[in-house]
Amino acid sequence: MSTVGSMKERVSEPMKNLRRRRTAVKASLAVSALTFLASCAKDAPQDTWQPAGPNAERIDNLQRPVFYVAGVVGVIVFVAVGWVIWRYRDRGQAIPEQTHGKPVVEIVLTVIPVLILLGVAIPTAGTIFKLAKTSDTEMTINVTGQQWWWEYDYPAVGSNAEQYGITAPIVTSGQLVIPENTKVLLRVTSRDVIHSYWIPKLNGKKDSVPGRVHLLRLEGAKPGIYAGQCTEFCGLSHSYMRMEAVVLSRADYDAWIANQLEAYTSPEAGTLAAEGEGVFIQQCSRCHQVNGLLNTDGTPIISAPDQYLVSGAAPNLTNLMTRNTFAGASWDLLTPECRGDVWKSDSATFGAKYLKGVTTDCLNQKDLREWLRNAPLKKPMYANPENLAPTGGKYRGMPALGLTEDQINVIVAYLLERK
Amino acid sequence: MITTSSKLFYGLGTLSFVGAFVWVIAHDGSSLGSVALIFLAISLMFLGGIASYVRDGHVLSTDTAAHASAPAAQGSAGNSWWPLASAFSLGVVVVGLISSPGIFKIGIALSIAMFGEWMISNWSDRASANAAYNEKVRGWVVHPLEIPVGGALLIAVIVLSFSRIMLSVASESGPIIFAIVGTLILIGGSLVSVRRGVSKRLVGGICAVAIVALTGVGLAAALSGERQELTDASKYDHYAVHPCGEEAEEYDASASRGVSAKSSIAATVILKDGKLYAEMDGFPEPLTAITLQRSYNLTILFRNESAGEHRMILNYGSVVEDLGGGVKRDSKLQACTALIGEGGQQAVQVRIPKPSYANPLSPYNIVVSGIEDSSIEVSVP
Repeated sequence: MSTVGSMKERVSEPMKNLRRRRTAVKASLAVSALTFLASCAKDAPQDTWQPAGPNAERIDNLQRPVFYVAGVVGVIVFVAVGWVIWRYRDRGQAIPEQTHGKPVVEIVLTVIPVLILLGVAIPTAGTIFKLAKTSDTEMTINVTGQQWWWEYDYPAVGSNAEQYGITAPIVTSGQLVIPENTKVLLRVTSRDVIHSYWIPKLNGKKDSVPGRVHLLRLEGAKPGIYAGQCTEFCGLSHSYMRMEAVVLSRADYDAWIANQLEAYTSPEAGTLAAEGEGVFIQQCSRCHQVNGLLNTDGTPIISAPDQYLVSGAAPNLTNLMTRNTFAGASWDLLTPECRGDVWKSDSATFGAKYLKGVTTDCLNQKDLREWLRNAPLKKPMYANPENLAPTGGKYRGMPALGLTEDQINVIVAYLLERK
Repeated sequence: MITTSSKLFYGLGTLSFVGAFVWVIAHDGSSLGSVALIFLAISLMFLGGIASYVRDGHVLSTDTAAHASAPAAQGSAGNSWWPLASAFSLGVVVVGLISSPGIFKIGIALSIAMFGEWMISNWSDRASANAAYNEKVRGWVVHPLEIPVGGALLIAVIVLSFSRIMLSVASESGPIIFAIVGTLILIGGSLVSVRRGVSKRLVGGICAVAIVALTGVGLAAALSGERQELTDASKYDHYAVHPCGEEAEEYDASASRGVSAKSSIAATVILKDGKLYAEMDGFPEPLTAITLQRSYNLTILFRNESAGEHRMILNYGSVVEDLGGGVKRDSKLQACTALIGEGGQQAVQVRIPKPSYANPLSPYNIVVSGIEDSSIEVSVP
């Protein structure tokens, strides 16, 4: 009986192991399938497989064949490994004769990958050189990263002024606006830590490094908004540091430039916006610049973010409502319906909808008010006034200003007129 | 009472006591070093006492059986160069005492290492009657220290030697020399690797010769000093913002210290044929107006391609200084290079805190001393 019992134990143990192996294989297959299926996202705004400009197309033309080749090689390797593991698993058979050194096989298995890699390296090198070409630049924009937003300034020099009518420097943030089919050169840098600029549908990544200027070409083939993301970990709100590239037709772009260069107009006296202007001057203009705001003595109000912020800069809000995101392009200024109307419009109608800016009906009051109420609660930042010793008394990001609801109301009314 | 193993400790302890007295005398009564030496002596005496008490390594002359097998009674381990090395390190300490603190510290470090090795060797030689085991046990104790420290020292010697050579040779020929040397090393290494049965001694010999040669050349390069242009450049703090004073200063023709600064220039300002213009990445044509970012560490390079010495001056507004007592002074904000001769260049690094329209009466621009009718407009949005 003990023999039968022990036989049962000897038989059931391998069976248990077999069941465990099968369960493990099924579980891993299920996880792999789920992971694979999760990558099939609809309307992915940062999909590198949907290039929307010639630079991204060059990268796509390279990555697709390489991916396919790598995929085929990968499948062959996995299948071969899997078959060998299964076919030659330990079934108690004797260890086969060990051999050493098959020069022909080794040489073949070395030469084949070398040839494959050469086949990948040559077009890769060619693509790199093509992407690095800047001699035919038509427009230049300075892009400066800081925690946790992107600043764009359009210099009023060279072809910017001669061909695009930029007669005075324009400063914006969050959304980079460029004309379609224009070879735009971005001079990318940073004011504090290393960030990385990436609009996947338009080109690859480019690090923005403090003290260095890196060049990146963007060219949009058709009007639309193309989303991007900071891709170099840069601190607490790295994941909230986004950007968009807005591509407009030439006519729409000229209209946008003209709007940006328009002189500041004060709100009508006695309105909420006029009251908001006063609150803005008291509370916000320490860091945020609105070009054209004047002191009572007629001198321009110049913000001093260098005194309050580690990066020394805060977003210029002169024409805030001509763009439709804020706070490092992390939140929409548009309600979901209006956003959908703009973002999903076709190329022919996109420009007009974008240039309309943010209207009272379309303003995303909720997020904007939450931001004004307590910005650090919405976006993690080092903005605790009691803990500024490590940064020499300066903030990283926007602090909570302790605004009352009335102040928020009037500031929103004022900001709505900034376009 | 004084057993074999305790002799070293008592000897070193006595030496430390003597050293403490010598220290006090040599340092005019300063007690810090002597306190350390006295405590060292006490510790060593304590260890000697322990060794005596447990009679570690002590074999009685009447214990003939123990004689045969006791490790301490085995024949001597043979010649050792640790005593010589230890004596040399003591010599370095003495030289350092009368020459420089740096040599003294090196001597102390060497002494600790050499005496430590000697002590470990002596101990391991008598750890057992089996020489092979003794060698193994010595390895267990010191290899975790010897190998990393030795490796680090070797790497440091190689790196330092390379760096002294690179600083000594001309900047144009340096890359050529190292390309040739690197190629020779690659060829030599390839030849050695494809040959079968290359002995370890040959490879070791080649490596030893290479290290000695590199160290020798590096030492010679270090003694001969850096090339002249580097010596000149290091005399002046070229990459600080110079006060815009009257004094003329030497210019740096090609200071290597500023490589990283020069590798990322916001703008290059060129004076040529009495005219000033700027070049910026992304703008293929020469510019007479440039845009610079606010609150950003900018490097602007000035290149003088005209005859005579000139200095670039960046004006970026003014600041009101409160001198106290209600008195305020409007001071210009400027960044200047030194006077640069023809063919020279120098960079300034500056951070502009305010936009250019903040000071309509003090326009931002770049001018050059002695050039009246040419300037570059600077716009800071």
